[in-house]
Amino acid sequence: MATETSERSRSARERFVGAFTSRASRLGITTGPALIWLFLLLLTPLTFMVAVSFTSVDTFTYQIIWEPTVENYNQLFAGEGPFWQTAFFQSLALSYFIAAVTTVLCLVLAFPLAYLLARKGGTTFKVVIFLVLLPFFTMYLVRAYSWFLMFGPSGVINSTLLRLGVVNGPVGLFNYGVPAIIIGLTHAYFPYMLLSLYASLDGLDFSLIEAARDLGASRTAALKDIILPLVLPGIISGSLFVFVPSLGAFITPRFLGQGKVLMIGQLIEERINSLYAIGYGSAASMFIVLSIVVAFAVAFRYVSIEDLGGV
Amino acid sequence: MTRNADGSRTETSGNSRRTFLKAGGAAGAASLVGLSGYVGEVTAQNPTLNVLTWEEYGDPELLNPIQETVGVNLKITKSTSSAKMFSSWNAGQYQQYDIAIPNNNYVPKMMNADLLAPVNQDVVTHQSNIYDTFQGFADNQFTSDGQMYGVPIRFGWYGYSYDSREIPEHEPTYEILFNEEFEGVDLSGEIIMYDNHFKAMSGAALHLGMRDAFEGQRVTLSEDQIQEVKQTMIDQKPLLQGYIAADPTYIKSFRQGNFLVGQSGRNEIVEMWDNGDDWPEMAVPQEGALAWFESAVVSKASNNKQKAWEVINEYISPQRGAKLAEVGYSPSVNPATQEHLTEEQNELYGSVDPAKLESFIPFKAVENERSWIEAWEEIKVA
Repeated sequence: MATETSERSRSARERFVGAFTSRASRLGITTGPALIWLFLLLLTPLTFMVAVSFTSVDTFTYQIIWEPTVENYNQLFAGEGPFWQTAFFQSLALSYFIAAVTTVLCLVLAFPLAYLLARKGGTTFKVVIFLVLLPFFTMYLVRAYSWFLMFGPSGVINSTLLRLGVVNGPVGLFNYGVPAIIIGLTHAYFPYMLLSLYASLDGLDFSLIEAARDLGASRTAALKDIILPLVLPGIISGSLFVFVPSLGAFITPRFLGQGKVLMIGQLIEERINSLYAIGYGSAASMFIVLSIVVAFAVAFRYVSIEDLGGV
Repeated sequence: MTRNADGSRTETSGNSRRTFLKAGGAAGAASLVGLSGYVGEVTAQNPTLNVLTWEEYGDPELLNPIQETVGVNLKITKSTSSAKMFSSWNAGQYQQYDIAIPNNNYVPKMMNADLLAPVNQDVVTHQSNIYDTFQGFADNQFTSDGQMYGVPIRFGWYGYSYDSREIPEHEPTYEILFNEEFEGVDLSGEIIMYDNHFKAMSGAALHLGMRDAFEGQRVTLSEDQIQEVKQTMIDQKPLLQGYIAADPTYIKSFRQGNFLVGQSGRNEIVEMWDNGDDWPEMAVPQEGALAWFESAVVSKASNNKQKAWEVINEYISPQRGAKLAEVGYSPSVNPATQEHLTEEQNELYGSVDPAKLESFIPFKAVENERSWIEAWEEIKVA
């Protein structure tokens, strides 16, 4: 009797364990939570945004009119002049420009450091990474505000230069505007680029560079023909991590643009807050989403998704 | 087990465990409340009212007495713009909040969107004591089908302020905001405008002599006038240091010496005076100045409408209204508040002659607001 009970309980345990060890169950357990998360917090809102972009809002009651229309998309490029003169296009173009320059700047600044860290490793790596990440233990808002105090005609940078007698008057470059936004964003997203590049460079076989040099390759040729192709996945993943959030940046341009610069995120916010034009805002947001999709599509032409992890 | 004074014994281990759990639970709840930005003292038996409003309304010196008097817990969520208050309520948050206190021109929008409950006149007893001017504004702007939907709370006006150490005394005019040189002072890169389409474009329109458009129930700039305003502001842009929206940013930047003259509210300058800066001067342009007044509204979805109106009544009561004026450097709509302010406070912000307001242009709804916004965006990207 006792043996029978024991066998029954063992078989129940095996069935229970078996339920979790089948291929389908394993897949469900490992990817299920992530899929639910993506479905609820990415796909559903995205689908809603697409749907809303094809609706209009009653200008009196501010309620959504659920009738399909392409009016919002027309409005984006509607104006007296050609489409490239519309506020939307100019704001979008400016956002692309700022995001692109920020990405290049992050890459140029992070690459030598990442290379050095990959070659040196050990304590140097730990100390430098700690110093780079130290400011990021504070809130993003606080960091943006600290840049606000640095810039301006009477900000810390200009005041210091004036007191040191380096300049006679405030330097325009250190006033609020596009350069200040680029510097603020570069500071904000620099670690993403650095860590992506480091992950790629850390796996690089440096003996290949030595071999190339032994065979007569110049430093530039070694960089161009050996290093860059091998760390391309890291460059692309780092660029995506910097470009995508820079494109839709909101806080930094708000602080450092002093209202004179209108990036796409601010334009969308203005429309929604002032007119409750959520259809227009959704249609405009679609261009940011499309940009991201295009950026990823281009990235996947050159590297595989496994490589984007920097391994 | 503990021994009592009479020699009896009491089971205490379970008790202390319960006490510990209770204390732990209370601490957890308190920290959660703290994390959510709760301001004020929590009292379990009182209902909690969610209020979406400006920073000053969260001042504990104002909040705590109101909570005690009305018997509610007030959870204040700070906002920096009436537009955000409106858009968030219209997006569904009116179900989450009981009270909002936007600028007056957003109340009609909330009324049209069917978000508001009518004023309970039996509860808001202090409304009968407010200046007639505001009573009139409320009748004109917030009343529909004989029911009023907003209660004026405090007011102020926009003009411009300037650094009197650099700019001499002059006849107040918007010319100063649109010219490279004024009274012999080079103002290139030294001017600030408000980062808000209504305030900034209205300033430009008044500068261009379009005062007639501000006379009716709504601001009625024609398409041609909007284009003229747009072009004027695009031409003005090289003279600007920038556009600023938040009061603290304006004050910090003004103190820092980033600009010499800026479109501003009077309360910002009063705050600077109160903090010892005697060099900023406030001017009311002869072309006209915009006057704002905040108005409290109650959500139609609120489960505590009666309490919500009681809280609003406190905001305009003589004592609490005076405290609100003090923390926000803006006068209350109830003149009885002056009795609870010092002579100096009254001189600075408490006892503003309402007759002065007659010459001001109250914030009001805008006709063809989309054209305003489109023009504003073109100014920003120019």
